[in-house]
Amino acid sequence: MRRYLRLLRLFFTTEVQYELEYRTNLVMDLVQTVVIIVTSVGAILVLFSYTDVLNGWSLGAMLVLLGCFYLIQGFGELILAPSFEKFMEHVRLGTLDFALLKPVSAQFLVTLRQFRVTNLAQMGLGGIVIAVGLGRLPSVGISEGLGFVVALACGFGLIYALLLALSTLAFWFVRVDNLMALYWAFLDAGRFPVDIYPGWLRVTLSSAVPIGVAVTVPAQVITGRLDFFGLAALVVGTLVAFQVASWFWHVGLRSYAGASA
Amino acid sequence: MIRTYRALLVASLQSAAQYRVQSVLWMLLEIIRPVIFLAAWVAVANSQGGQVGAYDVRDFAGYYISLTLVLQLVFSWNAYDFEYEVRMGRLSPKLLRPLHPIHYAVVENLVWKATTFIPLAICLAVVVVTFDARFRTTPAHLALFVPSVLLGAALSFFSGWVLATTAFWTTRVHAVSTLWDRGVFIFAGLIAPLALLPGPLQTLSLVLPFGYMLGVPAEILRGGVNVPTALLLIGGQAFWVVVFYFALQRVWRAGVRQYSAVGA
Repeated sequence: MRRYLRLLRLFFTTEVQYELEYRTNLVMDLVQTVVIIVTSVGAILVLFSYTDVLNGWSLGAMLVLLGCFYLIQGFGELILAPSFEKFMEHVRLGTLDFALLKPVSAQFLVTLRQFRVTNLAQMGLGGIVIAVGLGRLPSVGISEGLGFVVALACGFGLIYALLLALSTLAFWFVRVDNLMALYWAFLDAGRFPVDIYPGWLRVTLSSAVPIGVAVTVPAQVITGRLDFFGLAALVVGTLVAFQVASWFWHVGLRSYAGASA
Repeated sequence: MIRTYRALLVASLQSAAQYRVQSVLWMLLEIIRPVIFLAAWVAVANSQGGQVGAYDVRDFAGYYISLTLVLQLVFSWNAYDFEYEVRMGRLSPKLLRPLHPIHYAVVENLVWKATTFIPLAICLAVVVVTFDARFRTTPAHLALFVPSVLLGAALSFFSGWVLATTAFWTTRVHAVSTLWDRGVFIFAGLIAPLALLPGPLQTLSLVLPFGYMLGVPAEILRGGVNVPTALLLIGGQAFWVVVFYFALQRVWRAGVRQYSAVGA
């Protein structure tokens, strides 16, 4: 375990160093992130200029939800998207061999290897939006805070499992970046609570593509709208999803034939 | 010219036919955002007793369905491709051919719209049924929609090219196009119908070009504005098309002179 943490730190620092080489680009990226998040908050404010509650969500709770959306999306773009893109390239080129030969878990090495560091800004700003939203709500108790951390970790886990399962298909179909586009398409729906959507979309967002759950539940927990059982169900669901996705990855790995084989 | 276009069309159709699943998936990407904001406005309307301004739930559905259709007919993706071509030096061979590179983009856009139209229509039919959309369209609106959507497409195309052309100077056009995209996000009628944007934002949306690309043709198609207003808005569209047409000519000429093919 300690070895894995040390490796993660090493991956992370090399990516930070790489990013710092292109400073203008870094600054531009940060400016873009700020603009994107400010305009998204603006869109919420436009909606709330006509109402005080949206399907039971007050403005404060909505801002918390939007912050969670940027935490989840930021996490996906920080580690998962770059790592999985690289992974699919490895499969296509046959260079996955190198990862398989290393004395650590191949799943770890492949899926958590690449970082796009600028997305930390997205997550940081998401945190700020959450804080602003919480400022408009009655104070948060310790149990809600703890539950929030658990729910957020589950959200990360769900996204990880989903992307792992999608990209594992690369073992058979080689080119699956189109399926990843499916993830990006549905991700955008996470910016609103999953309960506002019509039936078919809500079901998709809470089961097959659980982006809605990953974003909505943490916001529900910290705004005190979810009981213990809901949270427990989320934890169990995440563990199951993670196990299934890992199992699927191992099945896929078995049909990987290697470079020029 | 007609023969050139026919040849380009055939070539582009053939290459599009290879990536059928891909185009359907990308179309999904286009359709999901209007549906998201439609759902949000329906929630707002329901909390206000079913009515926001002049819109009720079924009007919102009609508006956002029109918007999705307009988005599909109007939008062009060139800024992203063009940056890549400049950065990789791929533009050079195209510049040497006796045909302005813009024609390739015109054809690619036409083919993309033609090939994704049927799956889009099916998706929209599902949304129409789900939300029980209402249209107040009269024959006059339909007649006005034709020039309006054409002007919208021209505006989107020319402005997209002006943006893309900045890649001649910056190589990475990403930051510029993000700012532009966010302008579209706020002012083009995506987060709210233009008539529902609060005071100063609404004024801005009528001054800036964004709304004339999407929101205006969508309102006309839905029948949400009366005929004199529609004519005024179409005039605004024509104004911006002219502005961006001349801007493009200026910027393109200066840009090609500046272009040195990265890595050449």
